[in-house]
Amino acid sequence: MILSDALLQIGQVLCVLLLAPLLQGFILKVEERVQRSRGPSFFQPYRDLWKLFHKQSVVPESASWIYFIAPIVAFTAMLIVPILIPVLTDRPLPQSDMGDMLGGGMILTLGSFAIILAGLDSGNVYGGIGSSRAVMLAILAEPTLILVLVGISLLAKAMLPFVVNHLLLGSLSTYWSPAHLFLILAFLALLLVETDRLPIHSSTHLEIYMIDEARILEYSGPLLALLKWASMMKQFILYTIFCNVFLLPWGMSQLGTALGQFGSVVALLLKFLVVALAIVVVETVQSRLRFYRYQEPLAAGFLFAVLAIVSSQLL
Amino acid sequence: MFLAHVTPLQASIFSSLAIVSLLLTFVMLGSHWLRNYVYAFAAQSWLIAALSAAVAYFGGYRELYAIAVLTALFRGLVLPLLLMRIVDRLHVKREIHAILQPSSSLVIGALVVMFAFVISNHMNQQALPAGRVVVLALTIMLSMKFLGFLMLAVRDEAISQILGLLVLENGIFLGSQILVPGMPLLIEIVILFDLLIVVACFGMLVRFLVVHAGTTSSRQLTRLVG
Amino acid sequence: MTQPLLLILFLAPLGAIALSLGLRHARVAEYATVIAALADLVVSVPLLARTLRGSVIEGHNYVQLDTLGAWVIVCVSIVYALSSIYAVGYMRLLNEEHRLPLFYGLFSGFAFTMLAACVMNNAGVFWIAIELTTLISTFLVGFEQEAESTEAAWKYIVVVSGGISLALLGTVLFYWGGSFVLGPSYAMTWAALRQSAPHVYPPLLLVSFLLVLVGYGTKAGLAPMHTWLPDAHSESPAPVSAMLSGALLNTSMLGIARFLGVVNGTSVSRFAHSAVVGFGIFSFALASLFIVRQTGIKRLMAYSSVEHIGVQALGLGFGGILGIAGALYHMLNHSLNKSLMFFGAGNAMRAYGTKEISGIRHVLKTFPVSGILWLLGAVGIAGAPPFALFLSEFTILRAGINGRYRWAAIVFVFFLIVIFVGFLAHFRAMYFDDAPEQEIPRLTGTVWRTLPMWLAFLPLLALGLWWPQGLWDVFTKITLDVMGGVR
Repeated sequence: MILSDALLQIGQVLCVLLLAPLLQGFILKVEERVQRSRGPSFFQPYRDLWKLFHKQSVVPESASWIYFIAPIVAFTAMLIVPILIPVLTDRPLPQSDMGDMLGGGMILTLGSFAIILAGLDSGNVYGGIGSSRAVMLAILAEPTLILVLVGISLLAKAMLPFVVNHLLLGSLSTYWSPAHLFLILAFLALLLVETDRLPIHSSTHLEIYMIDEARILEYSGPLLALLKWASMMKQFILYTIFCNVFLLPWGMSQLGTALGQFGSVVALLLKFLVVALAIVVVETVQSRLRFYRYQEPLAAGFLFAVLAIVSSQLL
Repeated sequence: MFLAHVTPLQASIFSSLAIVSLLLTFVMLGSHWLRNYVYAFAAQSWLIAALSAAVAYFGGYRELYAIAVLTALFRGLVLPLLLMRIVDRLHVKREIHAILQPSSSLVIGALVVMFAFVISNHMNQQALPAGRVVVLALTIMLSMKFLGFLMLAVRDEAISQILGLLVLENGIFLGSQILVPGMPLLIEIVILFDLLIVVACFGMLVRFLVVHAGTTSSRQLTRLVG
Repeated sequence: MTQPLLLILFLAPLGAIALSLGLRHARVAEYATVIAALADLVVSVPLLARTLRGSVIEGHNYVQLDTLGAWVIVCVSIVYALSSIYAVGYMRLLNEEHRLPLFYGLFSGFAFTMLAACVMNNAGVFWIAIELTTLISTFLVGFEQEAESTEAAWKYIVVVSGGISLALLGTVLFYWGGSFVLGPSYAMTWAALRQSAPHVYPPLLLVSFLLVLVGYGTKAGLAPMHTWLPDAHSESPAPVSAMLSGALLNTSMLGIARFLGVVNGTSVSRFAHSAVVGFGIFSFALASLFIVRQTGIKRLMAYSSVEHIGVQALGLGFGGILGIAGALYHMLNHSLNKSLMFFGAGNAMRAYGTKEISGIRHVLKTFPVSGILWLLGAVGIAGAPPFALFLSEFTILRAGINGRYRWAAIVFVFFLIVIFVGFLAHFRAMYFDDAPEQEIPRLTGTVWRTLPMWLAFLPLLALGLWWPQGLWDVFTKITLDVMGGVR
């Protein structure tokens, strides 16, 4: 039975919302297992969110309205982006032409921006540190992100992720062209940075390294839950873009039947399994870089993006 | 001309080999460890040998098979072995990047590739058939030249400078395989052996540097000024 | 008749190498080198005369002896002969008898590769010969095994290898351009390049020529690629400095001249000539500024070499009979004069034990005879009559004033005056200034070290007073054949 478009669209957003903690749990567990310890359960992030929603919220005295607005903005932004990108179906659904790839990138960045402001808002020292480091990383990563989007647009001659998906599905030579491979590598570097995997790994509580934890240090209770959920959804979304637009564009529902949707969800989880395992391997092999060397993987990403653009012109 | 009758498959094979060679130059540019430079150079030489063999196969130039084998042997095995011996003897593991950090070098390298592309595009305005492979070959040749000079200019260690020179030669060789595969055999062979002699001379000179000047880092070779 | 002469030309240095390295005896090595060099000198003149009747092609089109190549062979042989005589006396002062055979072996090898480069018909093989000269001369530059010499040798090989790799790129691009006309596989002789040049896509031709100009210009010592030159020429032993300045720079200018002849007559010819003039005038100006404030005696000579190579480039760039004749005559005169200067500098260095000009005073007291020669050589190299360099520089000036490059000629004259004043100021200090209290040096001149100075000085004076008609014929033939005629 073919579902209506609106239902499909809502289903996409719900999929992102509900499965994001599962991805996070999976990555944490597999990492620990690779290092031969037991690790938390797959569903631990759900339990954490549940716990946080039932806790009391402690608000600093110097907080302003931004303190309350920022988690909501971040959460909402992460809910909007799945509307724009191919998550379960590979044909555009209603409202998905609200923004093209650059628009989607902008909304993602809007979420991060809100959290940065929140870190600065209460005047806390750690918040300031976290926000400034986060902004530095963003400055280094944004050009690469823009160039990657430009590169993929040059390849597909369109700015919509759906067109890219169809192109890669249809033409094997484009899939294996150097431009595409370089874009995959560039986006991989970005992925590592944006989802806080090593060699950046900013979600620790050590002062010397913390970026994300510092920004949200002042939050507690439901607001903290929203923030954590937003960052998990961001990770899910980036993985989705990576898989469905760049790396593994297969396995998406074309007709929109209920069974197709279910199969698409399973396929999505399988794809994430592959990518997450790869990320875990990358993480385990590396150690954290010193702060002033964060530019190196990002410079490599920039390089790959430029090479991708040049090769797309040459071939 | 050979490049006039290149099928898309051949074009993509040539292009991928050439582009990965360029990528290895960036590995050399962005790495901190001297051993990685030598490994990247060896891999690059093997790729160029594979490119020679591919051109020989598709273009029907029998002599290039011999060139491919010689390249793989000399540039891919003997030269890196010689260089590793020099590196081992030097007791220097890292390159201290005093002038330009590796990440900045990577970014500058990317800009250089764009610049080389603009130049090659302009040089190729003539209605050349199979223009894209030609432009690619020219771009990569010029980029490797620029990157080699970049390595020569901003690096301190003697080994990095030797590798910069070898990258220069590799770039010319790669370009000449695609652009002028019919170049007389004699010249190509002699240039190969010439490289060997060059590296041997460099090895001796590095030893002299260590013994007489006490250092191989050119930042400290400042006795002659004016 | 030419074949035996050619064979002698090349076998003589090879024989000297074999004897030096084989027998490992210093005296044998010295005399073998001197005899080989004199044989080369004797053989080179008839070869030059023979080429006036037409080029000689040997060795499956790989060896071509044309007038231009023969002329450079004459210059190289003269320097080879003079330096080998001087080297006998100079190297004995180093007190390293056991290393002398190696020195003479490398010395003759160096001369052999330069002579070979002059007759190479194929642009690629020419490049290989130039590369070999670099490799062999590096070890000659670093021969004294001091910290400074090793540093100079290192800078030399790195900068020059980088430079001539650019020349290789230019050669490959020339070949590629020609392959559109002559087919994918052809022998890259100078004639073939000249034939295909007018049909090559002009931007490609221009880029190739500029790459070759910069590449071989690095080896020739054109500014701003000259940075290796002061170090290498000042740190090497004096006979090697003379060879480097007098012979090697000429061989590199040969490369530039040949490629200039290839593009002459095409649409990029004007830009090419302007580029050569630009490099020439820049070298000249830069060298003059460095000469004025120089403190080391051999570095002074090295910058003077940069200056004179700039003059040669100016002559080639101005073009026409006068320009090219002036440049080629300048090659010969510069070889003679620079050898004279380096011999004198070597004597002074060994006598006073220092390389600084401020440490050398009252030269006439130490060297009554060769001191006069050295002083007169200094006057000559600054460009004054009645010495030969004046004639060649004046000819180049004539070529420049009449053409499009009048601005360059005026700048040329201005910096000539600067160099004259600057250079001779140093010599005035060395000869006529008072010295702080120091002991009189013990070294006196020997025949071995004074005779080459006489042998260099007398032709310099003679050529300055009389420009032989035979040489005009040679230059005219070169202009018409190799450089593509009068513009």
